Amino acid sequence: MSEGSAGDPGHGSSRQRAVHPENLSLGSSCFSPPVNFLQELPSYRSVARRRTNILSRDKQSGTLLKPTDSFSCQLDGGITENLNSQSIRKYALNISEKRRLRDIQETQMKYLSEWDQWKRYSSKSWKRFLEKAREMTTHLELWRKDIRSIEGKFGTGIQSYFSFLRFLVVLNLVIFLIIFMLVLLPILLTKYKITNSTFVLIPFKDMDIQCTLYPISSSGLIYFYSYIIDLLSGTGFLEETSLFYGHYTIDGVKFQSFTYDLPLAYLISTIAYLALSLLWIVKRSVEGFKINLIRSEEHFQSYCNKIFAGWDFCITNRSMAELKHSSLRYELRADLEEERIRQKIAERTSEETIRIYTLRLFLNCIVLAVLAACFYAIYLATAFSQEHMKKEIDKMVFGENLLILYLPSIVITLANFITPIIFAKIIHYEDYSPGFEIRLTILRCVFMRLATICVLVFTLGSKITSCGDSTCELCGYNQKLYPCWETQVGQEMYKLMIFDFIIILAVTLFVDFPRKLLVTYCASSKLIQCWGQQEFAIPDNVLGIVYGQTICWIGAFFSPLLPAIATLKFVIIFYVKELSLLYTCRPSPRQFRASNSNFFFLLVLLIGLCLAIIPLTISMARIPSSKACGPFTNFNTTWEVIPQTVSTFPSSLQTLIHAVTSEAFAVPFFMIICLVMFYFIALAGAHKQVVVQLREQLSLESRDKRYLIQKLTEAQREVRSQPASA
Amino acid sequence: MGQCLRYQMQWEDLEEYQALTFLTRNEILCIHDTFLKLCPSGKHYKEATLTMDQVSSLPALRVNPFRDRICRVFSHDNVFSFEDVLGMASVFSEQACPSLKIEYAFRIYDFNENGFIDEEDLEEIVLRLLKSDDASEDLLMDVMHHVLSESDLDNDSMLSFSEFEHAMAKSPDFMNSFRIHFWGC
Repeated sequence: MSEGSAGDPGHGSSRQRAVHPENLSLGSSCFSPPVNFLQELPSYRSVARRRTNILSRDKQSGTLLKPTDSFSCQLDGGITENLNSQSIRKYALNISEKRRLRDIQETQMKYLSEWDQWKRYSSKSWKRFLEKAREMTTHLELWRKDIRSIEGKFGTGIQSYFSFLRFLVVLNLVIFLIIFMLVLLPILLTKYKITNSTFVLIPFKDMDIQCTLYPISSSGLIYFYSYIIDLLSGTGFLEETSLFYGHYTIDGVKFQSFTYDLPLAYLISTIAYLALSLLWIVKRSVEGFKINLIRSEEHFQSYCNKIFAGWDFCITNRSMAELKHSSLRYELRADLEEERIRQKIAERTSEETIRIYTLRLFLNCIVLAVLAACFYAIYLATAFSQEHMKKEIDKMVFGENLLILYLPSIVITLANFITPIIFAKIIHYEDYSPGFEIRLTILRCVFMRLATICVLVFTLGSKITSCGDSTCELCGYNQKLYPCWETQVGQEMYKLMIFDFIIILAVTLFVDFPRKLLVTYCASSKLIQCWGQQEFAIPDNVLGIVYGQTICWIGAFFSPLLPAIATLKFVIIFYVKELSLLYTCRPSPRQFRASNSNFFFLLVLLIGLCLAIIPLTISMARIPSSKACGPFTNFNTTWEVIPQTVSTFPSSLQTLIHAVTSEAFAVPFFMIICLVMFYFIALAGAHKQVVVQLREQLSLESRDKRYLIQKLTEAQREVRSQPASA
Repeated sequence: MGQCLRYQMQWEDLEEYQALTFLTRNEILCIHDTFLKLCPSGKHYKEATLTMDQVSSLPALRVNPFRDRICRVFSHDNVFSFEDVLGMASVFSEQACPSLKIEYAFRIYDFNENGFIDEEDLEEIVLRLLKSDDASEDLLMDVMHHVLSESDLDNDSMLSFSEFEHAMAKSPDFMNSFRIHFWGC
C-alpha cells in the first residue's frame, strides 16, 4: 500500500473537514470534495445499481418498472441476462420487492424457449434439493447445541477448541471404521461362523524355530490386583486379545470364491488411515491458509478485520459483551504497542543487534540443552522400565509394579509440566515483540510435547534391535526379550493413552474444581483471591489433545482397537472440559480470534501427524517383523508385503509399476515439478507487481478526480457570484 | 403488550418465505413466535408492526453496540413489519451469502448515510467498539490511520463500497462475526 503518496489528505486534517475557500489552491491536496458531488459520478451510480440490482435504469425512482416496459427495454439485451442465475435471496431488497422481482422473472420466463425453461427449472429444483440435504446434515452434526451455547457464552476462540475436539472424534471414528472394515470384519465373520470361511495359516519355512517361540507368561497364583495391572498396562489377559497386533497371526481368510490377503489388508489400512488424516487436515486448513497468504504483505494483523469484523454479533449475554469490549480495548492497545516495539527494533544500532543476537544464540543453546536433558531422562526411564518389566514382575508389590510400568509416562508428563515454565522465563530475555514471543513459546512447547513420544518410540526401537550378546543375527531383532515386539510397542502406546486420560481427569477433578470452591468460599483470603479462578488456557488444552491424537496415530498400527479407545476418550474429555469450562472457568480478557485459532490448531495437528509418520515408516521398513506373532511372520519386514503382491500381478502391470517407481522416472518427474513450481512463483511475483502498479495508478486517478472537482466547484462559485453579468 | 391473534402461518407463506430468504423452516417459525409475543393485540401478524425500541430490546440485539443502526437500516418508516424482521434475520443468518452481508454491513456502518464510510463514521465505530468515554486521542487516531491505510485504495480518506467490499473479502473473521442465530427460541 503506497503510504508514501504525497499529501495523504485525510491524515492531517482529521476532524475538520469543512472546506474553507481560502485554503483552496491549485496544488492543494487537502481538498475533500463534497459528498454529493461524488454521489453523482457514474462510477458511484453503477456500483449502487449493481448492489441493489434494481431493474430500472433510473436510480432516483428506485421502483421496478412494469413488466412490459422492462421486457421491451431488455429484449435486445437478451432476456437471459436479466434472469440472471443469481438466486433471488441474494438481492439486497426487502421481501415485498423480492416478491415483485420474482413475479417479473416468472412472467419473463414464459418468453424463453422450452429448453431454457427446463434448464432453469431443473437447476432451481437441484438447488432446493441441495439446501434440504444441507439442512438435514446440520441436524446430524454432533454436539451442535453445546457448541453454540459455548460460543454465546465464551466467544469464538474457545468454541473453535471444542469444534476441533469434535473434528478429532469424527476422525478417530472414521479411522476405526477403516481398520474395522479391512482387518477386523473378516476375522469376526470367520470366528463367529457367520460366513463359511476359514483361516489360512501358512507354516514357517526356512526359519529358525527359535524365532517363533512366544512364551505366554502364566504364573501359578493370580492375585486380584494383577487384573487391574493387566487392564492398565495391557499385559496378561489383554495381551492375547484383539487389542494388540499379536492376536492377528493369520495369513489369510479363505472365502468361497477368493482368498482375502490379511497382511496386505493390515498394511493398507495403516497407509489408508494416515493418508486420510493428512488429506482431511489439509482440506480443513486450506481456507485458513489462503487467508493467511492473502493478508501477509506488510501487516501481519489486519486492523480492518479487527474494526469491521471485531464485534461478534452472536453475543447475547451482557457480561460477555462487557468482556468483549474490554478484550477489544486490550487487543487494539496491544497491537499498537507491538507496532511501537517493531519500530524500536528497526531502529536498533548494529552494536545492540549483535549483542541481542549473541544473547539469543546463547539462550537457544540453553533451550536445546533443556530439551536434550528431557529426552535423555525419557530414554533412561524407558530403558529402566523395559529392563525391569522382564524380571519377576509378579513378585513385586502393587505400587512398585505400577510405578515401573508407568515410569516413561510419568517422566513425560513431568517434563511437559516443567519445560513450559522454563521456556516462558527464557523468552523474556530474548527481547522479541509480544506477539512473536507467544508464538515462539507455543512452538517450542509443541515441539517438546510431540518429540517426547518419538524419543520413547526410538528408545524402544533401539532396545528391540540391540542384543547384548549378539543373538540378533538369528531373527533380526532381540527375540529373547521381545518375542513379539509389535505387541510390546502397542502396550507402551496403550499405557501412554490411559495415563494421559487419567491425568486429564485428575487435573480437572483435583485441581480445577477445588480451586473454584476455594475461590468461592474463602473470599476472605487475599492470596486465594489473587490466584483467582482459572481461565481456560487454549494452547495447553490443544496441545493435550494433539498429544493424545499423535499417540493414537502411532499406536493404531500396533494396536488396532486403539482408535476406538481414543474416540471414547475424546468424547469423555469433551464433556469433562465442557463442565469444567462452565463451572470453574472465568472468561479470559485476552481472547483468541477464531480464524487464527483454527489455523494454529490444524498446523499443530499436522506437525503431530508428521512426527507420527516417522517412527511408523522406520518400524515398517527397517525393523524385521516378529516371526512369532502377527500377520507378517512370513515376511522379512512389514513393507515386503507390497513387493510380493506386486509380483503376483500380470507382467505388463508389473513392468509399469517398476517403471513408475524407478529412478529413470522419478528424476525427470521431480525436475518437471520443480519447473512448474518456479513458473507459478514467477507468475505470482509478476501479478504482485501489477497489483502494486495498479494501486498507485488508482490513487493518482483519485487525485486527478479531486482536482477536477475542485476546479468545477470553483467555477460554479464564480458563476454564482456573478449573477447579473451577461 | 398483548399478543397478536394466534394465526398459524399458512404453509404456502412458509414455503414462500423459505424461498425468498436464507432462513430455515425452524428459524422462520421461531421468529414468528417471537413476533407474536411482542406485537400489539388484536392484529394479524402480517399487518402488525413493532417499534424500533421493541426490536432493539430483543435479546439478540440488546447488547449490540450497533443496534440502533441495525434497526434503522432494516426498518421502513421507523417501524418493523413481520417481513422486515424476517429480512433482517435472513441477512444475519448463517446461510446468507457474503455479498449480502457485506452490503448490509456497509449500510450499518455508514452512520451519516452519505454512501461512504468516512472518518466521522470510523470514529463513531471505534468509539462504540471500545465503549469507553476516555479513549485516548492517540489510540483513536492510530486505529483510524491504520484502517484507512489498509483499505482506502484511492487515498481520499473515505471508504467507498468497492473498497469496503474488497477489505471484507480479505477479512477472515467477517463471516463468522456478522451472524445472529438466537431470535428467542
